[in-house]
Amino acid sequence: MTTFQIFVCALMGMLMVLSLGAALRGTVPKRVVAAALVLWTLGVVAAVWPWTVSGAAQALGIGRGSDLILYLTTLSLAVAVVYSYVRFRRVERQLTLLVRRLAMEAAAERSPGLRSSLPSMTPSASEPARRVESGSAPRLLT
Amino acid sequence: MVVQALSSQTESRLGERLSTPLRPVALEQARVFIVVAAFNEAASIADVVRDLKEQYAHVVVVDDGSTDETAELAQEAGATVLSHLINRGQGAALQTGISYVLSQAADYIVTLDVDGQYDVKDIALLLGPISEGKVHATLGCRGASEQKRVPLTVRFRRILQAIGKIGSRMGLHTHLPDAHNGLCAFSRHAATTLDLKLDRTPHSSEIVQQIVAGGLDLQEVPVRVRVSDYALRKGQRSSAALRVAINYILARFTR
Repeated sequence: MTTFQIFVCALMGMLMVLSLGAALRGTVPKRVVAAALVLWTLGVVAAVWPWTVSGAAQALGIGRGSDLILYLTTLSLAVAVVYSYVRFRRVERQLTLLVRRLAMEAAAERSPGLRSSLPSMTPSASEPARRVESGSAPRLLT
Repeated sequence: MVVQALSSQTESRLGERLSTPLRPVALEQARVFIVVAAFNEAASIADVVRDLKEQYAHVVVVDDGSTDETAELAQEAGATVLSHLINRGQGAALQTGISYVLSQAADYIVTLDVDGQYDVKDIALLLGPISEGKVHATLGCRGASEQKRVPLTVRFRRILQAIGKIGSRMGLHTHLPDAHNGLCAFSRHAATTLDLKLDRTPHSSEIVQQIVAGGLDLQEVPVRVRVSDYALRKGQRSSAALRVAINYILARFTR
């Protein structure tokens, strides 16, 4: 085995241990850990038996194994960025609703009789990819 | 007979919402609320509030996470102050103000910016068409018919606003000459349809967009530009307009 292959195997092994640790602690959902383990295993396979990658590339009609890796990496990166951005926007939205609620509650404390009209905390768009309905009115006055 | 009259009104709108489901309240008896979103405006907030309080009883200042004494100064000057614990953006602050004044049984709502390029008397001009029942919302516009001697900073800002306007046009349904004007008045009914989501949009861009998209009538009212000391001191950074345009486009695709 070459130095690089040893290094990759060691790295993947470490990642597997960390993943299992996270699974046992429960900090990461089981399905995510399973997917991660598959990924690390593929990493070992790609390093120790490089011709498998070339074979897969040929089967897909890409040509070179390294090209396949490149495409997969680029795709994964793009998906990860978009996903993160959408999640980020959702968190920002929830934060605004929270801050608004606090501001209204503070005002309600100063002048009682306001409580019944506090705005709803639920954002109207709960799915990342769903488009917002136009003109949807929030439940401002109950 | 009343039922007959109502149904003919609905039919003439053909699928559109009845734009005036309630009779508009006369201006003298109406509860008018001025909503001002402010972020670190300690230098000018007191003056702005005092000017407004001379003519309007209800002034609401939404302190958007200011780190200076904006909230205290606004309160001392006589405004009702709502405070965001952290800064969320002008759009978010305006929505908070709107939600609050609706709970206070507001009849008419006016939003304006602290940079105070307006004459308080112009607010009455904006409220006129709404209180007469002609439209649900009015937008103050600084048309070409104003004073020639305008300082360079204001003139430069207009070019940037024109660029920002192009972005707004992609989402707006009507022609608006001054997309980033903050002076906007609307009825209670129009306010209940609002659900501002673009937190960082300055001025009332999203308000106008939602009112127009909701099928309610909106009218432009020419107002004067009163370039005062504190207006120039504050100004709007050129980069802000570009950032807003980008944010707006991104937000439209990633709700």
